[in-house]
Amino acid sequence: MAIYLQKIPTAIFEKVNDETWRRKFLRNVLIPWIFISPLLIIHILVVAVPAAQGIYMSLTDWSGIGMNVNFVGLENYSRLFFEDETFAKALGNNIIWMAFFLTVPFILALFCAALLAQIKRGGMIYRSILFIPYVLASVVTTTIWKNLLNPRQGIGAAMDSLLGLEDVFGVAFLGRRESALISIAFIDNWHFWGFLMILFLAAMQSIPPVLYDAAKIDGANRWAEFRHVTLPGIRPVMLFMFMMVAIWSFLAFDYIFLLTQGGPAGASEVIATQLYKNAFYHFQAGYGAAQGVVISIFAGFIIMIFVTLRRRGWDI
Amino acid sequence: MKRLKLLLTIALLLFMLTSVGAQDVTTVSMWFSEGSTLDCWGPIMMEFNDIDPSIQLEIVPQADTWNVTRTAVAGGGGPDIVRTPGPSYAYALAEAGLIAPMDAFADEMGWGDFFFDWALDLGLVNGQLYSLADELETLLLYYNTDVFEANGWTPPDTMEELNALGEEVAAAGYIVFSHGNASWRGTNEWFVGEYMTQLAGPHNVYKALTGQLPWTDESMVQAVEQLDAHMQAGWYGGGIDLYFTNEGTTRRAMLADGTAAMNIEGSWAIRGLEEYHGESGQGWDWVPVPSHDGTDYFTIGMGNTSSINANSPHPEAAAKFLNWYFSPATQGKMLTSCRKGPAPVAISEDVMGDLDPRVARVYAELSDASANDRYGYTTWTFWSPSGFNYIIEEVERVWVGEISVMEYLEGLDTLMTAELEAGNLPPIPTR
Repeated sequence: MAIYLQKIPTAIFEKVNDETWRRKFLRNVLIPWIFISPLLIIHILVVAVPAAQGIYMSLTDWSGIGMNVNFVGLENYSRLFFEDETFAKALGNNIIWMAFFLTVPFILALFCAALLAQIKRGGMIYRSILFIPYVLASVVTTTIWKNLLNPRQGIGAAMDSLLGLEDVFGVAFLGRRESALISIAFIDNWHFWGFLMILFLAAMQSIPPVLYDAAKIDGANRWAEFRHVTLPGIRPVMLFMFMMVAIWSFLAFDYIFLLTQGGPAGASEVIATQLYKNAFYHFQAGYGAAQGVVISIFAGFIIMIFVTLRRRGWDI
Repeated sequence: MKRLKLLLTIALLLFMLTSVGAQDVTTVSMWFSEGSTLDCWGPIMMEFNDIDPSIQLEIVPQADTWNVTRTAVAGGGGPDIVRTPGPSYAYALAEAGLIAPMDAFADEMGWGDFFFDWALDLGLVNGQLYSLADELETLLLYYNTDVFEANGWTPPDTMEELNALGEEVAAAGYIVFSHGNASWRGTNEWFVGEYMTQLAGPHNVYKALTGQLPWTDESMVQAVEQLDAHMQAGWYGGGIDLYFTNEGTTRRAMLADGTAAMNIEGSWAIRGLEEYHGESGQGWDWVPVPSHDGTDYFTIGMGNTSSINANSPHPEAAAKFLNWYFSPATQGKMLTSCRKGPAPVAISEDVMGDLDPRVARVYAELSDASANDRYGYTTWTFWSPSGFNYIIEEVERVWVGEISVMEYLEGLDTLMTAELEAGNLPPIPTR
């Protein structure tokens, strides 16, 4: 022991004996760690450990029942990328979903937020009305829209009846391969875009009014103000939401499962619904775990893009 | 002070008495899905608590019973009575050692005396009894009697007759089968299993399930092609896209109000038919699903199973409850009061006599079919979970023209061969 102690540089002993250093260490290092440790322990227990377990399970043939687990190496990943045709289709649907949510709700939210930002009196009423769909549970939203889109009793059927037409508007949007996914995205967006609008509105309201005054003095019209003052002013919020929406697009599950369960004929299947079915319907929890890991990798990839952009000086 | 001592003594005595009382009562827990089924079944099941005060049943309502049970049981917890959605699920739990063998209880309580022979076989895993099948089901062809009478139609016996009748029904402006899978995508599998049994024959299905016949056999191809032809003709729900969007309630309403003429569905539908047709005032009846040669085949299905948790601290008490629950008397009462599909046990004719003759006929015919080698197989009872989920999901690709019937069956054959080799198929009673 004495030999080891001799090897420790004397500077360390000097620091430890230094009262000021000890206090600084206590205040700046030890106490923060003590305060954060309960959260850290909980995080390790409920996030890190299950995540590590998930990664391990993705390398096994676990059925999801019992503890009969055999290590199969990268077999699940090989099946996922080289054998399972439905995975590629589901991934494609996720990309369509992402493209939809990175455009439609952003355009809608920007447009409405820009209009609402001008309203000085009664704006809260509009905001509340547009935000209400966001607080509805997905089960409620999907039930409402299932009824509205019902080809026999929904609004389409009512319009046909009113106009004396037959099966013109009463289309089974959720029952057709070509329209099922987009219809679900439309319904999910109906619930989601109000949230985005509120975020943009809050960001717009934090832009100093002097910038608009300066733009006006420079002769800017409404469009120029929006383009050169508003958009740069809310850019950090927009880019952050771009990143979040891109990540959420790979987690899409509830609306799809509640409305079509991935059908018809897999037309609205995404990775998360496939994962659920593999784990809980097909008793292939190991394979499902591999899909979960792949979703995480995609999310990590998106985060990496944004981190890279930030390092290159983008204001995110 | 004396009063305080007296009070303390009384309190102590009361505590001791209640403690002794509490120790004598064994609670048997059971998890059950919330909803109308529990509302009707629950009070009848709780009558068990009046029989032996030392064993008390506790029903815990759950939102997603199977997934909650599966997770809890895998973690060493869960209820004493483990219910699963069917024999294939119980099989997986037994293989994982999560439910206990019940052979000793079966011998002691004489379960073999009132269960049908093949029914106990369904719960065997490696020769030991692990689960008791419940809710006997079969698929039937229901029809709206008012619509049939008004058009002078008679229910079909053979598939040929059904095809001819279907043409007439469609030409008359009715939907042939009131159907849709928007509420339950598993609806798809009812028809695949049924057409296979009725057209390829139950013996061929048995051979395929036991690996003696490929699923790509010509008889299977013809069965699935016939189903596809009916789908393409728009017989189910009025068109494929409508089939994918029609809810369960729409399905019931269309038959009850005469928009549709027929419906192929399980015996569980009777309760809903009574309700919807009661409101519309139109009549209903049923016939066996038409077969290729007119033989009345009945597919056998089980709605769920009951087992004893391997970690239950009191398996004897759980077995006593199962003995009471599966008794013909209790099952008869649940059938008459709730239209519950009975467990495969011999229910007395007195009980059946009190039933609506259409309901009594279902179980009489089913019993006759099982005794005379005319029973077939429902996919959710005799296929592995992977197998019947393949049937559910992939058949839609056939209906929308993405893959051919042969490609569909080739995929099924590959999967079922692997499942058979891996020992994942539930027990198939020998015929």
